[in-house]
Amino acid sequence: MMELLRMEAHEIAAAVRAGKLSAREVLEATLEHIASVDGIPGSIGDDPEAEPDKIHAFITLTAERARAQADAVDAKIVAGEDPGPLAGVPFTVKDIFVVEGTPSTAGSRILANYIGPYTATPVERMEAAGGVMLGKVNLDEFTFGSSSESSAFKPTPRNPWDTSRVPGGSSGGSAAAVAAGEGWLSLGTDTAGSIRQPAAFCGVVGLKPTYGRVSRYGLIAFGSSLDTPGPIARSVRDAALMLHVIAGRDPHDATSAAAPVPEYLAALEKDVRGLRVGLSPDYFRIVRAEGGELVEEPLPAEIKQAVLDTAERLANMGVEIVEDVPMPHNRYGIPAYFVIARVEAASNLHRYDGVKYGYRTPDRVADMREMYRKSRGQGFGLQPKLRILMGMYVSAAQYSERYYQRALQVRTLIRRDFEAVFDPEGKYRLDALLTPTTPTAAFPMGAVYGDSVLMQYADQLTVAANHAGVPGISVPVTTDADGLPLGVQLLGRDFDEATLLRLARAVEEGAAFTAKV
Amino acid sequence: MEYEAIIGLETHIQLNTETKIFCNCKADSWGEPPNTNICPVCTGQPGVLPVLNKAVAEKAVLLATAMHAEVRRVSYFDRKNYFYPDLPKGYQITQFDRPIAIGGYLDLPMPEGYTRRVYIIKLHIEEDAGKTKHANGYRLIDFNRCGVPLIEMVTGPDLRSADEAAQYLIRLRQLVRWLGISEGNMEKAHIRCDANVSIRPKGADYLNPKTEIKNVNSIDAVREAIATEIQRQIREVEAGREIHAWTLEWDEDAGVLRKMRSKETEADYRYFREPDLLPLVIDDEWKSQILADFPELPLERRARFMAQYGLPEYDADILTTERALSDYYEAALQAYNGDPKRVSNWVINEVLRLLNERGLSADQLKVTPQYLAMIIRLVDKGTVNTSTGKALVVKVEDTGKPPKQIVEEEGLAQVSDTGALRAICEKIVAANPDEVEKYRGGKTSLIGWFVGQVMRETRGKANPKEVQKILRELLG
Ligand SMILES: [Zn+2]
Repeated sequence: MMELLRMEAHEIAAAVRAGKLSAREVLEATLEHIASVDGIPGSIGDDPEAEPDKIHAFITLTAERARAQADAVDAKIVAGEDPGPLAGVPFTVKDIFVVEGTPSTAGSRILANYIGPYTATPVERMEAAGGVMLGKVNLDEFTFGSSSESSAFKPTPRNPWDTSRVPGGSSGGSAAAVAAGEGWLSLGTDTAGSIRQPAAFCGVVGLKPTYGRVSRYGLIAFGSSLDTPGPIARSVRDAALMLHVIAGRDPHDATSAAAPVPEYLAALEKDVRGLRVGLSPDYFRIVRAEGGELVEEPLPAEIKQAVLDTAERLANMGVEIVEDVPMPHNRYGIPAYFVIARVEAASNLHRYDGVKYGYRTPDRVADMREMYRKSRGQGFGLQPKLRILMGMYVSAAQYSERYYQRALQVRTLIRRDFEAVFDPEGKYRLDALLTPTTPTAAFPMGAVYGDSVLMQYADQLTVAANHAGVPGISVPVTTDADGLPLGVQLLGRDFDEATLLRLARAVEEGAAFTAKV
Repeated sequence: MEYEAIIGLETHIQLNTETKIFCNCKADSWGEPPNTNICPVCTGQPGVLPVLNKAVAEKAVLLATAMHAEVRRVSYFDRKNYFYPDLPKGYQITQFDRPIAIGGYLDLPMPEGYTRRVYIIKLHIEEDAGKTKHANGYRLIDFNRCGVPLIEMVTGPDLRSADEAAQYLIRLRQLVRWLGISEGNMEKAHIRCDANVSIRPKGADYLNPKTEIKNVNSIDAVREAIATEIQRQIREVEAGREIHAWTLEWDEDAGVLRKMRSKETEADYRYFREPDLLPLVIDDEWKSQILADFPELPLERRARFMAQYGLPEYDADILTTERALSDYYEAALQAYNGDPKRVSNWVINEVLRLLNERGLSADQLKVTPQYLAMIIRLVDKGTVNTSTGKALVVKVEDTGKPPKQIVEEEGLAQVSDTGALRAICEKIVAANPDEVEKYRGGKTSLIGWFVGQVMRETRGKANPKEVQKILRELLG
């Protein structure tokens, strides 16, 4: 069985399409594995410390739905039809996507009883391509966090490499599931690093596509101008396979792009020789505000070394490494993100009011206002409340100029940093930037959680790509002294995921990294 | 002291698109059960996204152009955040600081002879909210109306009387129907109106606190509510009391204004750009496509009818109330190729009556402009008399047959043959010796009665002038 689980998704699909494996057989093996490693699923009010050696990736396992899908794939094979490029590949979905007929909770009490009335476009596309959805995996409440610990559904996911550590977040359940062999692929979302950071923590590949590349229809919104759905997979090839399925214009999402979707798998075959990859000193330090001062901290040596080693291996493959690339506005990414994401989040959370669906206070209330206050007060956890408060504050008419409008200007400057270094006529003419994905490896559970501001600085290396809309990918390259995985990040040009994946494949190939499963 | 009223109107115009502004639900739910035209998007389910219905932008461009406003090449959508149970997303998608159009005005020719120019200070696209109803201690919500496309249009404080305010709505309703962008039916809330009213001594150049009147849903109600409020404010000021910035509600049945809530401070809606929609770009190509068939506007056409055809203002006004009617008139006039006033009389008297009786619009008539011209020609030539002509209008509408065919089939042609008429007249004279005697005794008004008898005998087909001539001769 482990042999089957160690296959890659594209190999599974090929075997199923060739009739060498049945989708049902793949599914049953996966379900059996989940039963042995995952433990109890997250649920409201359960013990956060329960089964500390299990993964707890899931909130909802939809085994029967998956069996029906697998059988449908097998029936197509029998009928001589092609079930599609994901034929029989089991995958999980971050529970921030709405899927028809399944609980779609956002990891929040306020949506704990919400059953999706429609299916999110990327999920629909994966299922239409023959993918078999295993269920919904845990996350930070409404994706607000970097450890998945803020979910109202306990226990929250644990890192398969060391279950005393977090899997990262907010797509923590996705990364943990993929790393632990609970499905080959997972659909995550990335608003400031929420795909790339957990992927790095769990030693898997996480791709944040260009904003607009993948439809957001059905993604329960956090920061609408930043949210990007994307693949988490155990290999670059599998991430490419999945991206090809979910990418492309969606008539349900006005911000989805009409840009043509290339054959990503074919792009992987191309040589990386002659590509230009930059290293930026602005990605080798963390800058944060402390008492009105900017404090600059270098990254741990191990983290930096992992990047330099990767650069050296790429150079050996014929990649031109360009050093000292300035990304001067990277340091403002977090403060600008604090403002923009919170303004959007506060507004996006308005609809959870106890009126139409979701949690409504069981208490007696005097009037409408009290019903709102109590439903929201009891339904939302700490992280949404913090974001609502700050979002309301900085978007108030009298502060909007001072905070929100300025944050948007910073965002433009960050975007210009990227445009300058990717400009084919410019000084640097880069195809990609190579950076660390995270400033640390996976931290212990309970360590940073609660300190919201500090936790956010963990996103400093990833958030700029969300501001700028450019694609980014995290690839595991090594393990640190504690045996925890470390990832490097490649950031690329708008809608040029093909080049990014090609470079990522080269990084993966050269790295001395072995998957957990 | 003499006072003048300062009135500004805020109107919401419901566009007549097939589907809602951001989803594919049917836009018009008039008379349908609650919550039947809804979907995940317009009920604000988690994860949904709006997609702009282009027809909404196109209709807004038509209205903006008709209001002489400037259409922005790039405009934006914004979120207006507030909590209300019938607002499912907790924010309304609207346009705030960069709306689709800037400026504009509407000229109102007043019956008194002057023209009032009303400036437009806001014209933007937005989505409607749902409807809340209270029943048995419950608050019931109907989401059918959520996402119905609206144009919000706000005038400057340029109107000076309740009549002017009513006139503005009359002209606005005429215009939106003319452009085909809204049914413009106030009773069905296709045009909703809030009025801001204040008074000041005549000739003063400052503005006093104003009240806002809500829930006025007919033109008469707007006129009455504003007139009532002006009188109330004058009474207050005369009594030495202050005017407070109240929000008032018009109770149509009781004919009184009721205070809703005081509105001293503006709520903070925390507007920001709607990240789920791209900027709305109306480039030259799209704009010229939208405006390709832009019609001559009612006031322009009204003026032209007076200048070009020499029609009285009264006729020109009536003929241009609806675009279809004015098109009908011009087509009939062209087919007739004669006196414009004569065609106007026929349209205003005969055609308009038919339209009103049958609830039709002019472009739905089976009596086409060409048929009407034929009928008038038949009367002109004396083939049929006037009353037969009028009856023909109805007969053509009923049957759809060409007028001449009906005349032939039903033998309606006027009897002008002097010999035949003389025989009938002689018969009538012979059969009524008493009346003949009275006539000859000086009661010459009886001539009308004799004509009537002859007409009856000929089933209305006799040429009345000819009949009268013969009768006078016989009775003379
Ligand atoms: Zn709808």
